[in-house]
Amino acid sequence: VARILGISAHYHEAAAALVIDGKVVAALAEERLSRVKNDARLPFRAAHKCLELGQLRAQDLDEVVFYEDPFERLERVLVTSLRDYPRGAAGLPGIFRSQWGSRIWVLDLLAEGLGVSRRVVTHRRHHHCHAASAFFLSSFERAAVLTVDGVGEGMTTGLFLGEGNALTFEECLTFPHSLGLLYAAFTAYLGFEVNEGEHQVMGLSAFGKPRYLEKFARVVRSFPDGSFELVPEFFNFQGDASALYSSRLEGVFGPSRAYKREFGPFGEDGFEDPDSQRFADIAASLQATLERVLLGLCRRLRTKTESSHLCLAGGVALNALANARIFREAGFQDIFVQPAAGDAGGAMGAAILGSLEHGDPRPAPLDSAALGVPLDEHRAVELAEALGLLVEPCEDIAGAAVKQLQSGNIIAWAQGRSEWGPRALGQRSILCRADLPSLRTRLTDAIKKRETFRPFAPVTLESEAPRYFEYRKNSMTPFMTTVCQVRDPELALVTHVDGSARLQTVKEGNPLEPVLSQMSSKGNKPVLLNTSLNGSGEPLATTEGDVLGLFSRTNIDALFLERYLIRRPTR
Amino acid sequence: MKLARRIRTLWSLFAHFARPSRFFLLPLLVILLLTGALLAATSGLSYVAPFWYAIF
Repeated sequence: VARILGISAHYHEAAAALVIDGKVVAALAEERLSRVKNDARLPFRAAHKCLELGQLRAQDLDEVVFYEDPFERLERVLVTSLRDYPRGAAGLPGIFRSQWGSRIWVLDLLAEGLGVSRRVVTHRRHHHCHAASAFFLSSFERAAVLTVDGVGEGMTTGLFLGEGNALTFEECLTFPHSLGLLYAAFTAYLGFEVNEGEHQVMGLSAFGKPRYLEKFARVVRSFPDGSFELVPEFFNFQGDASALYSSRLEGVFGPSRAYKREFGPFGEDGFEDPDSQRFADIAASLQATLERVLLGLCRRLRTKTESSHLCLAGGVALNALANARIFREAGFQDIFVQPAAGDAGGAMGAAILGSLEHGDPRPAPLDSAALGVPLDEHRAVELAEALGLLVEPCEDIAGAAVKQLQSGNIIAWAQGRSEWGPRALGQRSILCRADLPSLRTRLTDAIKKRETFRPFAPVTLESEAPRYFEYRKNSMTPFMTTVCQVRDPELALVTHVDGSARLQTVKEGNPLEPVLSQMSSKGNKPVLLNTSLNGSGEPLATTEGDVLGLFSRTNIDALFLERYLIRRPTR
Repeated sequence: MKLARRIRTLWSLFAHFARPSRFFLLPLLVILLLTGALLAATSGLSYVAPFWYAIF
């Protein structure tokens, strides 16, 4: 019987997760409370909120587990600095400052910030935490586990076998040979923000053709056993995040795209301006290379473990296109990718590893991502009235939502506890009908303010999915971590240029299930566009204040917050 | 002094590097710690800047 808090921080999105007696009680990214996108600082807000949700004081915790060994990471940094000297000397002051400033002392800082004894603050290894977050939340009794991210300590790729309550390390690849860093370097090269723009690169890849595969073969060497190497001369992983590649990479692929430069218009044969098309082709080639290498790793893991099930974790496991290809081609019956597969998920894995080591049972399979902050209805009503909004209690909230959707309106949907992971999964969503393509401009320009090439995702009932999508039952679609081809041409609003969609399937228990069921019973397609309830560059709305703030400053037609319909007064 | 409360970490740090296979990293670790001490004493990197290229 143990109360364990898991913590991830410092590199991408920081997060906290609380496991009590083997049950996942709460999990939350720091950005959701600090309102700083991808906030990597130590997640004290999230940690205290998790404790509040678990009705615990920090002093009640049996263990606080950090998701990385800080000394092993320091060792890797020192070894790399020596190996690259004098090439990376310019970056040394920054490295020394960051290591001395907080990273070496992270366990002390956690103890001080949480007000717990330093004795209870421990760490587990980064990729073990990723693997634990994937396998122990899956419904599989035995599974191969592949972790792929930028780098944790020295490991970049981990192969594990999960059986019951045990996770066995099989083998790994180490820095600098990293698919996460490869993708990050090309994210920077293509003019997007590293650690944020990777999904934009994935979206862009559908607009291109993989014309640069031979050039990629010069940069990434892959071997028949499934392993791979990056050719170090093309990269600069010791530099800052905006320049992870060397000038030799530009020598091969041409000049990089200026940061956030606009893409030209898209015509029937691709982008009208050749440079935009070149970047789309490079993104397509990168995606194809990533998929090929991942397939090699998965096949090796399948042979090694003789498992019919696979769990994926690490930032690269958020690449829904690659996950779909692995599902199609790697020979596994089912694949599970938890919703926060990136670094935030490490907090969950750390807490679970701590819990299992205290002798607690393995957590139940994850069936909902609603592990975050609940909404306070009374405060929401007060706030809405103070903002001059019309507040109307609804007995049948799903029925009222369906009426709005049938009229072609765009609605905000806030129900229950906020989602764990980067996707809106029915708790904090913007919804509209997926068969009304005319809504795209309003969504893209007025509400989300994002690039036109980025696709929107659909949500449907699990039972109806095969009718509208090329869907084979799996453990990824409940968390929107894979894609399917769209069958129905009327669903243009949620169909990407390559015919795919990042589908979410729901069943009883998800707040969207009654809405979709009523859509179906009233003769509409039970398929909605489901995009995250946030503005451009913002974290997903979390509290009632965030939700009402967003609703007030956008032209979303109606807000459904718990049992209330909230609208603007008619002028 | 925070450093006094961080003895456990300092001990773990030295325990990590005090293995024969990691001895070659000790000089760099010592430089890291000295640099850190210098930074802590002077409260800023700008004071250290004139010495930087002399060190490397």
